[in-house]
Amino acid sequence: MRAIEAGLLVCHECHQLNPVDTEAEHQYCSRCGGRVHERRPGSLVRTWALLLTSAILYIPANLLPIMTVNSLGKGSPATIMGGVVELIHLGMLPIAAVVFIASILVPTFKLVGIALLLYSVQRHQPMSARQRILMYRFIEWIGRWSMLDIFVIAILVAVVNFGSLASIEAGAGAAAFASVVILTMLAALTFDPRLIWDNTETDHD
Amino acid sequence: MSDSPPEPSLSSLPLEQLIACHECDLLMRKPVLQDGESAECPQCGYELFSHRHHVVRRSLALVLTALLLYIPANFLPIMQLNLLGQTSQDTVWSGVIGLYESGMQGIAVVVFLCSMAVPLLKLLCQLLVLLSIRLDFGRSYGLLLYRIYHHLREWGMLEVYLMGILVAMVKLMDLADLSIGLGLFCFIALLLVQVWLEVTMSPHQIWQALSGEDIHAGD
Repeated sequence: MRAIEAGLLVCHECHQLNPVDTEAEHQYCSRCGGRVHERRPGSLVRTWALLLTSAILYIPANLLPIMTVNSLGKGSPATIMGGVVELIHLGMLPIAAVVFIASILVPTFKLVGIALLLYSVQRHQPMSARQRILMYRFIEWIGRWSMLDIFVIAILVAVVNFGSLASIEAGAGAAAFASVVILTMLAALTFDPRLIWDNTETDHD
Repeated sequence: MSDSPPEPSLSSLPLEQLIACHECDLLMRKPVLQDGESAECPQCGYELFSHRHHVVRRSLALVLTALLLYIPANFLPIMQLNLLGQTSQDTVWSGVIGLYESGMQGIAVVVFLCSMAVPLLKLLCQLLVLLSIRLDFGRSYGLLLYRIYHHLREWGMLEVYLMGILVAMVKLMDLADLSIGLGLFCFIALLLVQVWLEVTMSPHQIWQALSGEDIHAGD
């Protein structure tokens, strides 16, 4: 039995159970005072909106240089993929793999994964609820790791600062990439995982 | 893991004896836990809540340790780089300043928030929440602060920053002479204490203590 069928609402913030008050327009949690909803309002629409915005920004994030290395008057711009290739040339395969996973695989997987979750909730796809919840948790957990490249740039810009001899500047691609990461994290937050289970209950009826 | 089959009488039980899973909305009888145990949702496997010994005291000790480490972790040099006789230092703060001055203000703000501001605000929220439980004072503010803490949680990214430090070091190793600074050790210590704190401070017990349901919480 789901809480919603017993006339109980779970607070998003402190997980306290609140009996549904059918008369109140807005209901607040009896323990922490946060707004309680049956399900997050507009969860699917908001998640789609955030997802599409980040999908658009995903293009400049990968095509524009994320940083430019200036050395003895020569500037060489590097894209995300360029950074991975450079690490491979240095022979640092494990670190290259980490950067490749964090900056290329994870953002791509998140965009596809969230779209798949939304689609399967709306269209009753054959994916089981267990698979969906595992995917949701994985996406929610891994999202933050994509910030890795942004932090690397911050450190490199600060430490490689030798005037005309050598310096590193951040590029426009970095701004686009940071936006993609933040928007996909927000998309994972606005998605209400309980929709996954609501949907399977109706499948079986 | 307590596997209670759905009963017809479930909705007639008083609220205190019930718990609903936050991720799949399954309603069940609330299991009674001993110290150090945790309960999982039988349907989706989400951890419902856990019960730990001396939550407030242990968490307070950890919060204070983390706050002491915060300043050296962010302002002592993480690494030093030598290139043809010139030296430059890197701290978490100088990374933010460097980005800001190179015209990427937007990213500088994001890095500042994720690596410095949010971790500090999280610790301060936790400290004030614990103090309000311990001193039995201003619990309504405690509730508000603890709500804020839960919204901030996702956005503190110390562990990702540490991985960023490692990647940057590997990239720089061939380029110039690199030496590790004291700041790095403080940063790692801060990260470990913060992770430990997050495990220790079980939210369910803190919410109960804040709302006055658990009179022994301050012990």
